[in-house]
Amino acid sequence: MRETAVLVGNPNVGKSVLFKNLTKRYVTVSNYPGTTVEIVRAQASFDGRQMELIDTPGINDLTPRSDDARVTRKLLDEHGDATVVQVADAKNLRRALLLTMQLAELRRPTVLVLNMFDELQERGGKIDTDGLSEILGVPVVTTIAPRNVGTQALIDALPGARPPKVAPALETAVGDDYELNRLRLEWVNAILADTYSVVQPAHPPAGVRFGFWAMHPVKGPFVLAGVLFVVFWFVGLLGAGTMVDLLEVGVFQQRLNPLAIRTVDAVLPFSHVHQTESLSVSLGVPVTPVHEVTVGTLETEAISPSYALEPGADLGALRRVLRFGHDFLVGEYGAITMALSYAFAIVLPIVTFFFLVFSVLEDSGYFARMAIMVHRVFRFIGLNGKAVLPMILGLGCDTMATMTTRILETRKERLIATMLLALAVPCSAQLGVLLALMASLSAPGALVWSGVVIGVILLVGWLTARVIGGESSDFLLEIPPMRRPQLSNVLVKTAGRLNWYLKEVIPLFVLGTAILFLLDQLQVLDTIGRAAEPLVTGWLGLPREMTNAFLIGFMRRDYGAVYILDAATGPDAVLSAHQILVAMVTITLFMPCIANFLMIAREHGMKTAWSMAAFIFPFAFFVGGMIHRLGQWLII
Amino acid sequence: MADYLTCPFCGFEFEKTDTLCSHGCPMGPWCNLIRCPSCQYEFPEQPQSVTWLRGLLGRRPLLRPEAPGDIRSIRELKSGERATILCLGGGSTRRRNSLAVFGLVPGAELAVLQHHPACVIQVGETELALDDDIARGILVQPNESAKADT
Repeated sequence: MRETAVLVGNPNVGKSVLFKNLTKRYVTVSNYPGTTVEIVRAQASFDGRQMELIDTPGINDLTPRSDDARVTRKLLDEHGDATVVQVADAKNLRRALLLTMQLAELRRPTVLVLNMFDELQERGGKIDTDGLSEILGVPVVTTIAPRNVGTQALIDALPGARPPKVAPALETAVGDDYELNRLRLEWVNAILADTYSVVQPAHPPAGVRFGFWAMHPVKGPFVLAGVLFVVFWFVGLLGAGTMVDLLEVGVFQQRLNPLAIRTVDAVLPFSHVHQTESLSVSLGVPVTPVHEVTVGTLETEAISPSYALEPGADLGALRRVLRFGHDFLVGEYGAITMALSYAFAIVLPIVTFFFLVFSVLEDSGYFARMAIMVHRVFRFIGLNGKAVLPMILGLGCDTMATMTTRILETRKERLIATMLLALAVPCSAQLGVLLALMASLSAPGALVWSGVVIGVILLVGWLTARVIGGESSDFLLEIPPMRRPQLSNVLVKTAGRLNWYLKEVIPLFVLGTAILFLLDQLQVLDTIGRAAEPLVTGWLGLPREMTNAFLIGFMRRDYGAVYILDAATGPDAVLSAHQILVAMVTITLFMPCIANFLMIAREHGMKTAWSMAAFIFPFAFFVGGMIHRLGQWLII
Repeated sequence: MADYLTCPFCGFEFEKTDTLCSHGCPMGPWCNLIRCPSCQYEFPEQPQSVTWLRGLLGRRPLLRPEAPGDIRSIRELKSGERATILCLGGGSTRRRNSLAVFGLVPGAELAVLQHHPACVIQVGETELALDDDIARGILVQPNESAKADT
């Protein structure tokens, strides 16, 4: 019979890295508590013995109070004969042993792994592992998982796993959880007194000092501003600007799209002529949203998806079918020309750059400190510091961030975060364009835009927190030590996330484009456009053509912003600074894209998705209109 | 206004809701014993008549927490101060439990690292960020001797 081993441990102790070392299988690993959301299983063969390994989410406590603990508990019950591999953070032995005491009551064969042993030594700590092994009655192994040290020792120790000894006082104790935990802690303290000693080093390591700066009330905001600036430059300018330009124009519009159009034209012929446009792509190092140090420029003529029918051409039934197929593949809302180029030329480079910098931050342990910096503000809008992760992810891609709101503990918090992401957090695809637009505004105009967006987040967050019933969770966050991010870990993690992104999010983009294509074919887009026109011209005071920008804006928020950018800064600019501001605010507050809508529906149900849409669209128009009216008095 | 009770055994003052008794006790609502969160001594609640009588004699019942001696909440400690936990105060059992798994139980020693922008404490090698709400509920006694080295 195949043996099973379950990795159990407190959050952020390195279970997933150890799992990877044991099975050579990749799991998302990070320096942030609560990263393993789902159970991961893998087969491994140790010296010819087959073994099934199961990774579990981090738990502090076996009582089935949190989802994670419930999942882990259920798993342990299902695998009654499994060996428990308890992974512990060596420098945090007290908490690990508290869990050991609870596990001991299950009377399963156990191995205790003291991971991060190097960090313990760095801090001047010592553990008498032999003594510990004797007291607990289980094999104790020390490992340094990121460097794959001690993995073999762990494999060797697996057959020697035995049930841990139960604390003497606990054998007969009865009482509630709290009472039992107290008894367990007393016993743990007694064990620690015998086996653990620490001599504080004279100078704390650099990482520890930086960790303090990052959450210092005065230095902290500067660190935060610095980090955000680097993220913005890397993702917003280099990723969303230079790389997208290169891929979208240089690869797709200049090369792949014309190729696809010619191929489809050859296979599905009907009499039409494609328009040709002159496209230029430049390579350079970005300095500001509108300036860059150009290295080289390439200009080519390429055919575009838009076409005109040949005059007098007669489209029979067959030709109509051919045209439909043609439009579906390479038309303006075509699967290749729009969905694929959008997914691979715009979204993919941006999220790749975003994931890279995100992984670096995550690995360094900075996120928990960021959570501390923003906690009090987030508290006001019914969230807590932990929500900083999805919110920052939203600056990369709102659709993906909506999915990660799962890490928030209560339904109320998940709904508030989802709402704010859909309403007011601009994704990176859009942020680049918005910042370029901002360059054509005066400084007060830019301030009004930022003020309105932040104000909306605070106001709507505050209101939503009061409208939605339910509890906000307690803010109790363990702060991991600052570590130097490891390149291999960052790359592997980025690749893992991208893989996940391609599987989970890209299909939604393709589905969204297909819906858009159908709406276009059925003339629904035109109808909506005509109906919305009075709203755009009358209420927002914008030119008629902007209707299309808003409509496209829902399907692809960045596209809508590009339309405005063309109208604002192109050769024949039609928008005044005041109108740019109104358009920017409105488009920022729109729901990001149809994929985001589909993701909300998937996470919270269709009803919630529609109610959010029913609030967001009128609200975006309302705020835009108010800016239009109030802005006339301000000179912007 | 919350009633504050004084434990006749150890003199510890606490809110009535803080009493640790009554979860799952078969006596349920019929039990009129109160258990001191500090020393676990159980005593019956003082009847109204006695309180009234004592009031007549000039001994006012305690309505506001006059923290005796140097008992404070974490929120009132200075950054860098070390203290020993006396009780985990109000809030649900759920909250007390989530604190306990981090080693925050009566008797444990902690150091306050900072209060702004959020309260951060250190217990053993664990650094924890807490809500003000939770920090206000945890009552501690400062340790005079050792100051935390930050």
